[in-house]
Amino acid sequence: MRNFLLLIRRYWNLILFLALEIVCFSMISKSRNMQGMDIVSSANSAVGYLYKKQNDVVYYFQLKKLNDSLLAENTRLRNELSAVSNIDTFTEVTARIPVTVKTDTTIARKDSTGIKLIPTTRIKVIRYADYHYIPARVINNSVSNDRMNFITLNRGSKDGIEKDMAVVTANGIVGRVSNVSDHFASVVSVLSDRKVSTKLADGTANLFTIWNPGSPEYVITEKVPLHIKVKKGDSVFTTGYSFFPENVLIGTVAKIDTLKATNVKNLKVRLSTNFRSLQYVYVVSNEKGEEKNKLEAANNKK
Amino acid sequence: MSIYLRNIIRFVLLVLIQVLLLNKLPLLGWSQPGGIPPYIPFIYPLFILLLPLSTPVWFMLVSGFVLGATVDAFQNTGGIHAAACVLMAFSRGRVLSALLSKRQEYQNMSPNIKSMGWAPFLTYSAILLALHHTTFYIIEIWSFQSIAYLLLKIVISLLTSMVFVILYSLLFSTSINTVYFDN
Repeated sequence: MRNFLLLIRRYWNLILFLALEIVCFSMISKSRNMQGMDIVSSANSAVGYLYKKQNDVVYYFQLKKLNDSLLAENTRLRNELSAVSNIDTFTEVTARIPVTVKTDTTIARKDSTGIKLIPTTRIKVIRYADYHYIPARVINNSVSNDRMNFITLNRGSKDGIEKDMAVVTANGIVGRVSNVSDHFASVVSVLSDRKVSTKLADGTANLFTIWNPGSPEYVITEKVPLHIKVKKGDSVFTTGYSFFPENVLIGTVAKIDTLKATNVKNLKVRLSTNFRSLQYVYVVSNEKGEEKNKLEAANNKK
Repeated sequence: MSIYLRNIIRFVLLVLIQVLLLNKLPLLGWSQPGGIPPYIPFIYPLFILLLPLSTPVWFMLVSGFVLGATVDAFQNTGGIHAAACVLMAFSRGRVLSALLSKRQEYQNMSPNIKSMGWAPFLTYSAILLALHHTTFYIIEIWSFQSIAYLLLKIVISLLTSMVFVILYSLLFSTSINTVYFDN
């Protein structure tokens, strides 16, 4: 026992050295695995406090660098913004336009004198037409051609655009999709020799509007019967007969030409769409249009 | 100034210099593949180098462990610094006795430039720092797969550490100008 103590005493330093090294290595191995409890780590509060103080000081030295990096960040963000600011951020919307009719009906009402029939006029919703609006940006536009004017949109068949869809803006008609590629669509604008099915504000339908080469501001609603009363400033709308959605404003009557020889009036209509500064349009897909066309085509076969 | 206070202050100062300045300055050679890898110069082993000659070995071992563990806490290295420091503290006496032939003369003082002279002190610190760096990097890298990389790291880190040791010695040589005795 005494010898053992002497041995320990003699090699005390070596034993301490080995013990400390063992402690070190166990610390290392503990810190290297995930579950190891790190007593000796920068997670403890004293070290964290010192590091925070150091950071407070160093922060000032880094202000210039920080400024530069913020500036670079700003420039990068601005560039990105300019890259995306030309892309429209419209969301796709589905408009449910109620199609209404005025009905003349009578209501039976019980009175002191007996049953009385009172005529009423009530507005009745007969159907909802489901139109799907796809926003698009005009990337090319012509107003100066004599026969046909075309508009190119930045949306194509990948965005759900098909041939013969109507194109409108928030305040008027634009045209009809004539050709579709994957990412672009070309539109024959209203400023072409294509007729647009038209009705007047009082409900007179079966009219057509056509563009006369020349001004991109005016179209002509042809062959309005003489007995129809039209004033300057009256609105002209599309019908649902054709590809356009119903009740889209075409424009307002600017001038009335009465042709005595043929007993018709021609209305010069000022377009509500400004074709000179066309930017954003909606391509309208009529979800029931195909069904309607099929039905009408079946009639024609017979 | 008391020798204890002096060493405590040196401990705190060296640890602060190490963790707040040198650890924040990972020296990058050049940022190409094949360039010098990033490394940190170590100045805190200077505390063990500058302990008085008459320090008992067990105290040197324990203080080396505490010093290394403190730096480990800051650097999140587990216990690598502590292991290297303990090894360094253990071999300090042997290196000193090999370098100082007549040890009795120096019994009561601290090894430094004034007391030992430039060449012996630099040799002494270079040997012990090389030991420390080798231990540290071997444990840290823990592989002899790329021995050239290991050696490169040891050598460049050692060179930079030596520069810092010389700077520190020059900077504080006035304070260690007087040969003090611990009694």
